[in-house]
Amino acid sequence: MSLLSVSDLVVQFRTHDGTVYAVNGVSFDLDEGETLGLVGESGCGKSVTNLALMRLLPKPAGHIDGGKVIFEGQDLLTLDESEMRDIRGKEIAMIFQDPMTSLNPVLTVEEQMVETIRAHRRVSKSVAKARAVELLGMVGIPQPEARLKNYPHQFSGGMRQRVMIAMALALEPKLLIADEPTTALDVTIQAQVLELLSRLAAEHGTAVILITHDLGVVAGMTQRINVMYAGYVVEAAGTRDLFARPRHPYTIGLMHSIPRLDAQPGEPLIPIEGVPPDLRQAPVGCPFAPRCAWRLDRCWTEMPTLDPIDPGREFVATGPQATHRAACWNPPTAEEAVAARPLRPGFEPAPPPEEVRS
Amino acid sequence: MSEVGQTTPTVVAGGVSGPPAAGTGSTRPLLEISDLRMYFPITQGILISRHVGDVRAVDGISLSIQKGETVGLVGESGCGKSTVGRTILRLYRPTAGRIVFDGKDITTAEGSSLRAVRRRMQMIFQDPYASLNPRMTAAGIVSEPLEIHGVGEKSERHQRVRDLLATVGLDPSYGDRFPHEFSGGQRQRIGVARALALHPDLIVADEPISALDVSIQAQIINLLERLQSEFGLTYLFIAHDLSVVRHISDRIAVMYLGRIVETAGSRELYERPLHPYTVALLSAVPIPDPAVEGRRRRIILSGDVPSPSDPPSGCHFHTRCWLRERLGNPERCVAEDPALRTLAGGHEVACHFAEEVDGSAEQVQVTGRTPVSGAPAAGPAPAPAGSGPTPAAPAVPISPSAPAGPPPRPGREG
Repeated sequence: MSLLSVSDLVVQFRTHDGTVYAVNGVSFDLDEGETLGLVGESGCGKSVTNLALMRLLPKPAGHIDGGKVIFEGQDLLTLDESEMRDIRGKEIAMIFQDPMTSLNPVLTVEEQMVETIRAHRRVSKSVAKARAVELLGMVGIPQPEARLKNYPHQFSGGMRQRVMIAMALALEPKLLIADEPTTALDVTIQAQVLELLSRLAAEHGTAVILITHDLGVVAGMTQRINVMYAGYVVEAAGTRDLFARPRHPYTIGLMHSIPRLDAQPGEPLIPIEGVPPDLRQAPVGCPFAPRCAWRLDRCWTEMPTLDPIDPGREFVATGPQATHRAACWNPPTAEEAVAARPLRPGFEPAPPPEEVRS
Repeated sequence: MSEVGQTTPTVVAGGVSGPPAAGTGSTRPLLEISDLRMYFPITQGILISRHVGDVRAVDGISLSIQKGETVGLVGESGCGKSTVGRTILRLYRPTAGRIVFDGKDITTAEGSSLRAVRRRMQMIFQDPYASLNPRMTAAGIVSEPLEIHGVGEKSERHQRVRDLLATVGLDPSYGDRFPHEFSGGQRQRIGVARALALHPDLIVADEPISALDVSIQAQIINLLERLQSEFGLTYLFIAHDLSVVRHISDRIAVMYLGRIVETAGSRELYERPLHPYTVALLSAVPIPDPAVEGRRRRIILSGDVPSPSDPPSGCHFHTRCWLRERLGNPERCVAEDPALRTLAGGHEVACHFAEEVDGSAEQVQVTGRTPVSGAPAAGPAPAPAGSGPTPAAPAVPISPSAPAGPPPRPGREG
């Protein structure tokens, strides 16, 4: 049995501007100790998915409108608030992009760490403090005892993120959700933090969901990747498999639109034309169709399901050998994936139907 | 902030020196800065403010940019790269040093002579949300520079704005919309159109894509490249992302704590980095390929960047340098400021021990390229790791092509 099993999760925000269709039926499983990357651009639903499973959606706009989140055999969506509070921090911990806004600026690190530990464990203050010192040392903060007395603003960005990681791991959670943990950091500091994160997760056997827009970060950090677009998982595969043979036009587009440090000089970038979709429109058809060079007529009207790209093999849900799946009616071939455009003679992307055009 | 710039070694009143830009065939750089310093004072006290120190944002850098060239300025936050860009445009008055634009010393230029130069240099900003006035229409934003500099009649300006919007890939009829009606990428296009309005020679682009979504970034990069070949623009491209800088630049200058530590052609810099900081920076950039990532070893720099108000003595990088540790912490790094030395091929590096970097296991690790995803790289085969430092190898380019000047840029379609 997997540690976490999310199925058909639907999240909507009811705003003054109408309904925002943030997550439109997301399913995935996660094993103990596994690292899964959720990749996508802003607004693709990767953060909302995880806020929903932590039951931390902003109220009153955010609604979970369907689905199940089974964590260690129980459905988190049916728990009441006090049961959920027991799980947060202790079983599932989260670290965010900006540690300055997720640490309390008017409390010292000691107060915050001791509070976190004592909220879940019946230990004395001195025991909790000793644990806090140990944790700060573990994440590589020099002179941990002295630094405990500091306020968050007295730490640098990288050090603050280390404090966040120390707090997240304080109760040895089974699952750590890291939401763009290094996006606000410089590249040399990012390297420090990622190395720390993967080492600690491996040592403690913690499963990690790593949310990021950076394909480079997931390439080195994860065993498996879900690519998200407009509230859907559009491609899912083991990390090596995904990079070796991307099969969804969006994944292919992403890989060709970022310059690689090791690319041949002068290699042109192939951008994805158009703009990300407006999530206030109820989804009709494939959300990527307006930007897709491979679209067929049915792409405008029918959302494809996330299906194995090599049917007939035994289905594997988790791990680096997970079944490679893509949600596409007209998946590009291997040659087309390299060229980043359709190579079939005479192929033209299907024009939008009348009702979409108007 | 005029009290900052008191000491300027080379003051040319009015800012006119040298002949006007007549000789187009000359090799005179479009922009030349030498020993530029920009210090921001730190003051204490409420009634009487005392000057207690300086933030040395830019601490003596020299750089020249040829016409038509793209120079990338790369470094981590706080290294002073944005301050360099702003000082070049004379948004600040430099503390010391010299800025020569097209043969004209503009270090202390003021008033109308400064305005005349500013027409020829423009800036593209990072945040397309904050850099556009929310109460002005797109057309108003793009035509404002034309109005300020009194270009053309109203009807001519109107036509010019429509042309500019079309040039950057926006529908000219969107001119009467306001910034909030555009997406991030479209807003950045408006910012580009504004920068182009006065036919500038030099554009300083300060992190122009880092606020944009990944799938939009390539659109803007391609747009900037197309505009460069169309209008013969010269770019100073400031960014923290080495992959992007390497893609767009002919030459790259790497900054650390207010100083340039290495300058080289962008291919050369990647294939033969000679400053320990550059090597570490290259190794830290994640590459979107799990096979490559599995092989790579990062050089994890310890600690954080020191404060620019109290930079370390000698080499600013010595507190975090992996090479210094390897060499048994030589005193020279602490005592002596390394000058930017020019090695073969115009490769400049500010490190006493740059020769030790060349051929080191770290350098090989970072640059050793292997064929990726069906496209075999023409790079050299990685040398066996662990080979001792090549003793002062005379700078022989690894690759046959070590461009001396900017290589020709093929026109790229969007």
